[in-house]
Amino acid sequence: MTSSKTIVLRSSDGATFEVDEAVALHSLMIKHRIETGGADSTTIDVPEVTGNTLSKVIEYCKKHVEAPNSDDLKSFDTDFVKVDQAVLCHLAKASYYMNIKGLLDLSSKTIADMFKGKTVEQIRETFHIKNDFTPEEEEELRKENSWNLFV
Amino acid sequence: MESCLILSVLSDDILSRILDRLLDDSDKKSFRTTCKSFHRVESVNRTRIKFHRPEFIPRLLKNYTCTDTIDFSACPRIHDGSVSVLLSDVSCLGWARRLRKVVLSRTTSLRFTGLEMLVNSCPRLEAVDVSHCYQFGDREAAALSRAAELREVKLDKCLRLTDVGLAKIAIRCGNLEKVSLKWCLEITDLGIDLLTKKCARLRHLSVSYLKISNESLRSISSLNKLEVLLMVGCGFVGDEGLHFIGNGCPSLQVLDVSRCEHVSSAGLISVTRGCKVLQKLNAGYYFLELSTNVFQSFKDLKHLKTIRVDGVRVNDSFFQIISTNCLFLVEVGLSKCEGVDDAGVMQLAYGHPGLKILDLTCCNDLTDMAISAIARSCTKLVCLKLESCSLLTEKSFSFIGLSCVLLEELDLTECCVNDKGLEYLSKCVELQCLRLGICTDISGTGLSYIASNCKNLRELDLYRCLNVGDDGLGFLASGCKKIRNLNLCYCTKITDVGMTYLSQLEELSDLEMRSLFKVTSVGLTALASGCRKLSELDIKHCGNISDAGFWSLGYYSWKLQQINLSFCGVSDVGLCMMMSNLTCLQDVKLVNLTNVSVRGYELALRTSCARLKKVKVLASLRPHLSVELLEALGASGCRIRWD
Repeated sequence: MTSSKTIVLRSSDGATFEVDEAVALHSLMIKHRIETGGADSTTIDVPEVTGNTLSKVIEYCKKHVEAPNSDDLKSFDTDFVKVDQAVLCHLAKASYYMNIKGLLDLSSKTIADMFKGKTVEQIRETFHIKNDFTPEEEEELRKENSWNLFV
Repeated sequence: MESCLILSVLSDDILSRILDRLLDDSDKKSFRTTCKSFHRVESVNRTRIKFHRPEFIPRLLKNYTCTDTIDFSACPRIHDGSVSVLLSDVSCLGWARRLRKVVLSRTTSLRFTGLEMLVNSCPRLEAVDVSHCYQFGDREAAALSRAAELREVKLDKCLRLTDVGLAKIAIRCGNLEKVSLKWCLEITDLGIDLLTKKCARLRHLSVSYLKISNESLRSISSLNKLEVLLMVGCGFVGDEGLHFIGNGCPSLQVLDVSRCEHVSSAGLISVTRGCKVLQKLNAGYYFLELSTNVFQSFKDLKHLKTIRVDGVRVNDSFFQIISTNCLFLVEVGLSKCEGVDDAGVMQLAYGHPGLKILDLTCCNDLTDMAISAIARSCTKLVCLKLESCSLLTEKSFSFIGLSCVLLEELDLTECCVNDKGLEYLSKCVELQCLRLGICTDISGTGLSYIASNCKNLRELDLYRCLNVGDDGLGFLASGCKKIRNLNLCYCTKITDVGMTYLSQLEELSDLEMRSLFKVTSVGLTALASGCRKLSELDIKHCGNISDAGFWSLGYYSWKLQQINLSFCGVSDVGLCMMMSNLTCLQDVKLVNLTNVSVRGYELALRTSCARLKKVKVLASLRPHLSVELLEALGASGCRIRWD
């Protein structure tokens, strides 16, 4: 019987998560750490990611490693990103840092969809962005956009 | 107050990836206008830029510091002087050193001096498109040949290019991988031979419509890495030439031999027997009857994905062989073929459930039975063309609506579609392009179904749909907000009310509305003021539009590039005002403007002669226009068509 090795991942706020090695390797950053870390790499620090986000990331990796061909993978992904903006942004950042392409693509696509078809004002409202252009600068930009100077 | 997470958490790199997924230009522009951080990300993210106005190029090049692909083809007044100015402008220094790909298609006023300057300043230049620069000749080719890193060059319709110019490019640019010489009628076997000897790395070659012989194909067959060969309309090539190809070109994946008069089944068999990795084959027109041997030879092509045999006479054995072999077929083209019957199509459909593109244009023997089979089996269909299949009834449309839910392009021109049919078809919610020309039974009711469901519609063709009126346009305006192309020619019930509805379509860029005689200047004004992205407009024979309408066009339609005003009631003043204000206008048709005097034409053409590339006017006008004007037009590369 093969013993599955486990890895412990430690988040920025000290929370630890024990995961199967196969699941952890879904993150190319962790894979690299393990391969270059030597024999003693059973605990890996992930200081860019908090505990809450890390647990969600692990949930994603588990599903994609343990059942990569299942029919409900698509609906899992769709439901996975039905979260509020804060969680979504942290997921994108974590997947970027941990080099998990599938999750990075999924989260950036979801955030991109929140831009589509919106006006500038609507975008600022959705993401709570402050307009830091001067009125003159903003006028210049609007002219550039509307005069179709370029595509 | 909620803090801005997206800016505090996400790095520029992640924001850039999000921006990559915003494919719509208006979304990208909203992104860059949101805040300084987004503007910075967008300035660095944009690698490809297409200019529409020459005055603002330096400023934009200064802002976009990472662009390596520049497209000048839509920009008026690109000539040697403008290139010189851009290269010496200190504010945007460095753009030339980054440049890898440049599109100069239709920049007919650029000559070899400007090209030389450009090529000398761009050490990384690897792809150039100078297609449709019909005055481009050997001197310009010599200028291009100085780009030692050149990998791709597109010379379509460079009518003055000869073997001499091609030789210069071939000798100096040995790394060429992609060359297109379509319509370069002066090129002969000698030029092709030298090209193939000097550029062994060629992967993609187009020699369509050239007057080359079998000898050129002998030379081409030595290209070991050739993957794509386009030789449409090569009238002097025969089976012997294809025999060379079959015995050479081991990497050939795509072959287009359509419209080659002297090629027959024997030549085709040489190719199918020899080029084992062929994926796409286009052998339409002039193969009057494809022999059974040819179809049987398809068996050996294990990778065949696309077969187009438009205009060919097919028989039962064709369908039988194709369905049992060629298991990876994704695209089949049988446009204008004889012998396409229900039984054959049913066999095709059941044999290929993975089919994505099916062209059955003018296969007018087909009935509902064929469509039923297609719908049941080919549920992944993305493009279906059934123009002139007039035996189809509502049943066919219900089959399509129920099963082919992935359809993006559907052509039902002259298929007698009615409102009930549209109700069924509206279930294809992914539709982007829908052609319903000459379906005279369609009215606003039918269009209301499309408007409620097909939110992704970009192109709609209602040519001669005589029963479409203002109410139909009302539905479209509220439901199909993404429409860019719209054809309403001869939908004579449409009035100014309909035009006002159309003004709500903000993305509308290409509108054809010939002979809408109920539309007046009120309607045109509404349209112009609402549809600010309008770029191509055809209002031929809209005789009831007075000057006020054309004033509005001149005032609002900044992006207009192409207009057909023939047989309209514009006056001298209206025409001059339009032509001088609309600085993007490049292509104008001004045939038979009865209210415009000779002086009016002269003035209007003078104000815009530096920008125009194509003009169409009555031949009887020629002796009346001044010599200076005609010379100026010629010098800036404008082509005049005398009707």
